[in-house]
Amino acid sequence: MPSLKDIKTQINSVGSTKKITSAMKMVAASKLRRSQEKAEAARPYSSRLEEMLSSLASSAASGEGIIKLLTGTGNDQNYIVVPVSADRGLCGGFNSSINRETFKLVKSLEGNGKKVQLMPVGKKSRDFFNRVMKDQIIESFVDLNVSSTGYESALNISNKLQELYFDGEFDKCILVFNKFKSAISQEVTQQQLIPLDVSNSEKQEEKENSSNAIYDYEPDEETILKDLLPKNVSIQIFKVLLESDAGEQGARMAAMDNATRNAGEMIDSLTLKYNRTRQAFITKELIEIISGAESI
Amino acid sequence: MATISFDLVSPENLIFNDEVGTIIVPGKDGDLGILPGHSKVMSSLRPGRVMVYNEDKSLIKSFFVSGGFAEINPEKCIVLAESVVEVNSLEKTSIEKEIQELENKEGKETEEQLSVAKAKLEAINVNYYDKI
Repeated sequence: MPSLKDIKTQINSVGSTKKITSAMKMVAASKLRRSQEKAEAARPYSSRLEEMLSSLASSAASGEGIIKLLTGTGNDQNYIVVPVSADRGLCGGFNSSINRETFKLVKSLEGNGKKVQLMPVGKKSRDFFNRVMKDQIIESFVDLNVSSTGYESALNISNKLQELYFDGEFDKCILVFNKFKSAISQEVTQQQLIPLDVSNSEKQEEKENSSNAIYDYEPDEETILKDLLPKNVSIQIFKVLLESDAGEQGARMAAMDNATRNAGEMIDSLTLKYNRTRQAFITKELIEIISGAESI
Repeated sequence: MATISFDLVSPENLIFNDEVGTIIVPGKDGDLGILPGHSKVMSSLRPGRVMVYNEDKSLIKSFFVSGGFAEINPEKCIVLAESVVEVNSLEKTSIEKEIQELENKEGKETEEQLSVAKAKLEAINVNYYDKI
């Protein structure tokens, strides 16, 4: 049977853990609000860019130069997968679900005879893939600090991707990231970044085409498209980074909330045990005194 | 007089959104003056000033954009810009210093930065379009 002092130390240590987790929860909650605002602020730009692209996409017939970002290389052999995770842990299944999903995706692509390379974003996925598929990593991006320099990081990633793409290193690029659904739920999502997937914006295009006439282009369609496509890649990455950042804070908040609650329950049960043990000691001492007195 | 709805959007946020009278944007092939009922145009932009006027043609705000796109239809004008600053908040001395530093460097990226910085300086110095 543990002594009273042992239980007391245990209660104290669980108590201080609880303090830490509840503080972390509060920090995550305030960060979440900020990240969410950022993600929402970035939405008008990306949605309008998408609208523009979808009305331009139909005019891209030839597969030369930059337009390849839209039309593809015509091959389907080399893939690059970009898992977007957090830099830090203690956020529940946030990082491990990304790693698991990416791992599955890579294995299934390889099963179909494709060549897959990885470009992890965030420490947690870099460390994971460094352990399991080290030779497939071509580049990794960590310490992004999305909330302050998000767009610059997105530009770095997109420049690197485009460089590799035009060097013919890969034919398709797929992003794996946590989509922010609500403060407590994230959804692991796969998005094809290169070549651009316009299938989901086609409906929009039909709507536009039916309701109004054709645009004039200045200088001309091709020049605009050449400017627009690389920008779109960076914006898509930026959007994903923001979503993932908001998701991370949400996941951490939920995880820390759980931890705080569990610690509370543990303290309750330990306190009960402490009181019982104390009572048992008192009873034992009383019995000893009484039986001692009786024997005299 | 009619108004046209104008949105100025940067990747980070929505900077301007209101009904205005006239807008002048720096199109790649030359400046575009946009009035309500403008025909549908899509244009890419060069670094320069985006000027916003109200219905009686007095200047409301002028922004400096480092490039981007404009989508114009009769009711609405949307400018997607990479980086946006108000012309009033630009500082001449710091830009001049930046230009000097950039002139000593080489490379494609530096050239781009240099042309943006020069355009910034021009945006401060010129005053045409202040009154239309």
